[in-house]
Amino acid sequence: MLLVNPFDETKREQGRPAPRLDTLRGKTIALLDISKPGGSVFLDRIEKLLVEKHGVARVIRESKPTYTKPAPPEVLDRIRRAQVHAAIEALAD
Amino acid sequence: MTVKLLAFFETDCPTCRLLLPYLKSLPEVQGISQDDPDSTRGLVEELGLPYQVIIDQNLELSRRYDPEAVPALFLVDNDGRVLRKSVGFDKRDLNELAAALGAGPIAPPYDGNPERKPGCESRHREMQNAEFRMQNTGAAPKPERASRIDVPDDVEWYPDPLPVVPPTVERVDRMLAGVGLDPTEVIARVPPNYGSATVEKIAANAVMAGCRPEMMRVLIPLMRAACDERFNLHGVQATTHFAAPLVIVNGPVRGELGFTGAGNVFSNVARANSTLGRAFQLILTNLGGARPGEIDMSTLGNPGKFSSVIAENEEENPWEQFHVERGLPAGSSAITLFAAEPPRGVSEHQARSGRVILKAICRALATVWTYRACLAFEALVILCPEHVHTLRRDGFSKPKIREFLFENTAIPRKVFDEGHGEGSAHLHLYQEVVVDGEPCYRKFAHPGQIHIVVAGGTAGKFSAVIGSWATGPRGSQMVTYPV
Repeated sequence: MLLVNPFDETKREQGRPAPRLDTLRGKTIALLDISKPGGSVFLDRIEKLLVEKHGVARVIRESKPTYTKPAPPEVLDRIRRAQVHAAIEALAD
Repeated sequence: MTVKLLAFFETDCPTCRLLLPYLKSLPEVQGISQDDPDSTRGLVEELGLPYQVIIDQNLELSRRYDPEAVPALFLVDNDGRVLRKSVGFDKRDLNELAAALGAGPIAPPYDGNPERKPGCESRHREMQNAEFRMQNTGAAPKPERASRIDVPDDVEWYPDPLPVVPPTVERVDRMLAGVGLDPTEVIARVPPNYGSATVEKIAANAVMAGCRPEMMRVLIPLMRAACDERFNLHGVQATTHFAAPLVIVNGPVRGELGFTGAGNVFSNVARANSTLGRAFQLILTNLGGARPGEIDMSTLGNPGKFSSVIAENEEENPWEQFHVERGLPAGSSAITLFAAEPPRGVSEHQARSGRVILKAICRALATVWTYRACLAFEALVILCPEHVHTLRRDGFSKPKIREFLFENTAIPRKVFDEGHGEGSAHLHLYQEVVVDGEPCYRKFAHPGQIHIVVAGGTAGKFSAVIGSWATGPRGSQMVTYPV
């Protein structure tokens, strides 16, 4: 039985994950709040832990305008421009 | 000095379709279509554009002004000098451009459309990029046909729990025969994976769902509507909430293809309703990637994810048809999409008046999302014909019903004394109101959050309320497309 493939065959470039950090010490980390209720409470705690326990030099905070949609390019650009070593996207509810 | 507003657009760009009608009342507008005369004429007629539109199919003007995306608006003086430029849809830009042309504001802040919406890549850039890709890969980007899979007859090749009709080459060819479109044409990119819904892929899924070939007429605009950014299919498909897209069909296409809006409207009563909904869901999972247990992580799901298509029972609707209320011409056909919870029934057989029927509906409306959550949600009220008769007898029009439901749906303030929970964080935004002597908060922010459709059989006094997912520009907005 010869079938027409009904599944997604869109060609995509394979993304590659950024290189992992070997230490958090002295690094700049971005925390992206997806704007769910309680997100800021959770991220406040993470920020404190990153700085106090792991020696992170600087934490920058960004948030999506709404959790219902992907992060808009402006938000990603701001994180990129801040030249962070890593970004953590945080979901909370 | 006289100035002129040049408006570059493509006929298949949702943002262009959103923006162009806003320019209707402005003087000195010159539309510039990047597409062929036929599709341009179609769009101008469909949107009723009163201003002059010229064809720039060879993209000469587009190259000269070089907008990166469309819609693109250029305010130019007599000598063709650009005084101001706006790309995409932006209400503030629109009002400022209107002011520059000596007109009042044209884009009100709360008209149901977002503040801003990005456009599509301008055709001349698409060409440049295609040429660039060609130089770099040595081959033109060929439109892609779907691959063929050869499976033995006795092998279960389809991964979902419900079996499908095998999309054999012959069956898909029959589905494509009457469409009049190139099988490789991409109708939409389906979130959340943004798989390309080509005409051929849509046809293969339509075969699997058991659609008749004429259903392609509805499936194509349905895929455009579903992937309209305002609907936010990405969020609807990826949420843990109950939401599933509900399709509402209006106009002559109901009779032509056999959609029902009468008894059992939410059940498996008509092949057209059932197969359209099933094909739509197959496309969302097979091309969009929102397969349950993978990207679709809904906590409880929704039976509507098998199929969820209703027609309005226009024959029993004494008021304006739903799609006409949504801005389409009477006599046209349309589909509307709503990110819907499952229906909650409102049984009211004893009420002697329309007022008491509406009071019962208010109680159900109060439970949308959850009892204590106000302002951020919408609802679809499905009125059954027997309730409609009583309401009409009592002098209720659709606007009066909507106003009544808005005024009378309220949450008693005392329930917030039960402790912190849904709604607690937003109490400062809630509007205090007294309903029937009880201090309350209003459930809805404005009457426009309540949508009214007439459907169901002529026997039985059962209406229904269907709640929304997150709504407005920060959630999913209802969209209506012509068929």
